[in-house]
Amino acid sequence: MKIKPYFKQLRRLSQIICMVIFLFLFRQTDYTGSDTIPYAVNILFRLDPLVLATLTLAKKMFITILWPAFIIIGLTFLFGRCFCSWVCPLGTLIDGSGHFIKSGKANVHLPYLKYVILIIVLMSSAFGVQVLGFVDPFSLLVRGMVFSIDPVFHYLVSLGFDSIYTMGPSVFSDYTEPLYEWLKTFVLPFKQSFFDLSMVSFLLLVFIFLLELVGKRFWCKNLCPLGGLLALISRLSVFKRRPVKSCKNCGLCETRCRMDAFDEGHGLKFEECTLCMDCLAFCPDQITHFKFGIPKNQTQMNMNRRQLVTAGLAGLALPALIQTSGMSKMTGDALIRPPGALPEIDFLASCVRCGECMKVCINHALQPLSFENGLEGLFTPKLVPRRGYCEFNCTLCTQVCPTGALEKLNVNQKHEVVMGKAYFEPARCLVYAQKKSCIVCEEHCPTHDKAIKFNEMITLDNDGNSIVLKQPYVKEELCIGCGICEYICPIQGSSGIRVVGRTSQEGARSGYA
Amino acid sequence: MDRRKFVKQVSLWSAGIIMAPPLFNLTRELSGSPLIKPDIIVAKGDDYSNMVGQVVQSLGGIGGFVKKGDRVVIKPNIGWDRGVEQGANTHPLIVAGLAMLCLDAGASRVMIFDRTCNEARRCYNNSGIKAAVEQIKDKRLRLEYIDTRKFVRVKIDNGKVLNEWSFYKDALEADCYINVPVAKHHSLSRLSIGLKNVMGVLGDSRGSIHYQLGAKLADLNRVIKPAFTIVDATRVIIRNGPQGGDLSDVKTLHTIIGSVDPVAADAYATTLFGLAPDQIDATVAAYKTGLGQMELDKCNIQYLKA
Repeated sequence: MKIKPYFKQLRRLSQIICMVIFLFLFRQTDYTGSDTIPYAVNILFRLDPLVLATLTLAKKMFITILWPAFIIIGLTFLFGRCFCSWVCPLGTLIDGSGHFIKSGKANVHLPYLKYVILIIVLMSSAFGVQVLGFVDPFSLLVRGMVFSIDPVFHYLVSLGFDSIYTMGPSVFSDYTEPLYEWLKTFVLPFKQSFFDLSMVSFLLLVFIFLLELVGKRFWCKNLCPLGGLLALISRLSVFKRRPVKSCKNCGLCETRCRMDAFDEGHGLKFEECTLCMDCLAFCPDQITHFKFGIPKNQTQMNMNRRQLVTAGLAGLALPALIQTSGMSKMTGDALIRPPGALPEIDFLASCVRCGECMKVCINHALQPLSFENGLEGLFTPKLVPRRGYCEFNCTLCTQVCPTGALEKLNVNQKHEVVMGKAYFEPARCLVYAQKKSCIVCEEHCPTHDKAIKFNEMITLDNDGNSIVLKQPYVKEELCIGCGICEYICPIQGSSGIRVVGRTSQEGARSGYA
Repeated sequence: MDRRKFVKQVSLWSAGIIMAPPLFNLTRELSGSPLIKPDIIVAKGDDYSNMVGQVVQSLGGIGGFVKKGDRVVIKPNIGWDRGVEQGANTHPLIVAGLAMLCLDAGASRVMIFDRTCNEARRCYNNSGIKAAVEQIKDKRLRLEYIDTRKFVRVKIDNGKVLNEWSFYKDALEADCYINVPVAKHHSLSRLSIGLKNVMGVLGDSRGSIHYQLGAKLADLNRVIKPAFTIVDATRVIIRNGPQGGDLSDVKTLHTIIGSVDPVAADAYATTLFGLAPDQIDATVAAYKTGLGQMELDKCNIQYLKA
């Protein structure tokens, strides 16, 4: 019986190990000298049964790379919602934040909300609209980290070392620079990233932590749709806490349970228990224990028929609203999707807005969409060539996509994929507008043979002198839309050559029909 | 300190001054004048590491350029995310060979870097230079990524078209700067060789340099003066430069060129492409400003057979 208290330590150890693995994989979501990512950096999303469920509903087919989700489903059938307490990195962070955020004891219990959200998400995906990305705990966490936490962390650390380097005496920097060097090699990202929507992503994540002010694990108890799905499964699980009611004269487990897992009749709601095993430690009589067996569910689900119907209707209305909104029909040709992106409608149905492709993009060329294409496009990736171009030989984004919204490409396939086409802006281009020699775009064009070519023309410069000028043009059938020309164009402001995206990427260089 | 010790130290110090070769400094100042015939060493063969050693030996030996304790910069072209055989970057064996020579000569630090066009890590890796440098296990040798804090603005005295530009501090402060370009086709400048290789130590937006490129390169090369230049012409891109991408664009020449005169090195390398030195704007502009000799009949060309 003496080992009982150690379960709490064991759980914490598991949380810490999972957190370390999560952070390690987060850092490994980058170019590390190899053309292939050596680890399954997207494993968190592939473990997510909600990703599996929504993708299967949306695409009406099973996506093979999502098989790891069955591990979590199986685990939940055995041990209930143990994932929430032992594995989930967001849960760990929320637990950890308890040291900084004093959680309130407000009597707000909305456990049915997570089922409502779950049903809306599943219904929408059945109609081909993927809204999971807005509420999935991992999407919220990873996006927040990619777009805001990581860049801010890097910025602050660099700012410190750079200040010492540029302003302090060299006596200091002789010591700080080697440390900085070490940090750059092992801890910091390779270069500073800048993301659109960094503030929005940050606030969304912060909001989850602020909810702790209302009550412990507020997000997990009341809002998390993944928690909701696992809760449904865990009513059938075979490893459960006993006794299934809190003791009449003590009731300590009921008042101290972080998940509020006991109902008004003091019965344990199995679907809310995350097996954190804290009650093992504080039970004064050492009565509580966990064991295999199938006790009858004595409690009611926290959802009545009316709520179910409402959620179902909302789940119907949302995809209809999104699909009939004016903005979603604006899917203009200016949008450049990452290489390997499915045709636009399929892409939107498959992308869970996890941010992995934008994290891994070696030139930070991929940026999240704001509302320019409606709610439907929010947080999905687009290539912004003026900020960074798509590296010709790089296929990393297609490797880290957990859902196949970006098809995995090898280098040869990538070279053939047409993301867009480049067009000259003669009113801006140095050669055409100012009659100055340049063709930096031609120099950088990576295709073979080059999609940007030039003619040597005898022309008049802007002073009226006759000159020989190399005038560039795009050979359209060769252009793949990588955007290096738009990125590198030396004029200030908008580029003298611009890439226009397409709603459907052709595999081969079939050209623009 | 006693008298004996004092005399000994004074003579040692002055020996250092006397024995330091003023020669290559002098050559660089006066090259371009018809009075001095710069040496151009041309080696052919397929053992590139060995050939580099022979070329440097023929230039007077590495000891003439690198003194014990010197900080050396080796500046290859690592501009593109291309493989060794594609010829867009300097051959790793040449870079590694030079690094070893400098280390053996007692350099206190040997730095290798380039401001790349494609993503830096991909260029360093796929050029083969990272692997080749890492094989030499010596703490004094460092292949570094460009640190943007290290760009400093430099006034260019008597610049024809540029008065000022940002340069990389380590390149400016080097005791010995070795230029190791790869010779290749370039649509705008026709060829990219040694004078163009200075682009890799420049800060700011380099795109605007492409207007009046030749004259600007001549100005920029007044700031960065290599102790000597080694041109990699082991395999050269003859079209679709400066990054190529297909082996059909690459011609194997198995040639390494060395010269203390940066203009002469470029001038000779130009002939390998069937062009004359005066067809390259940068070469002509550099010659005119007195940076070196471009008339090959006024050079002392030596051929080495490996």
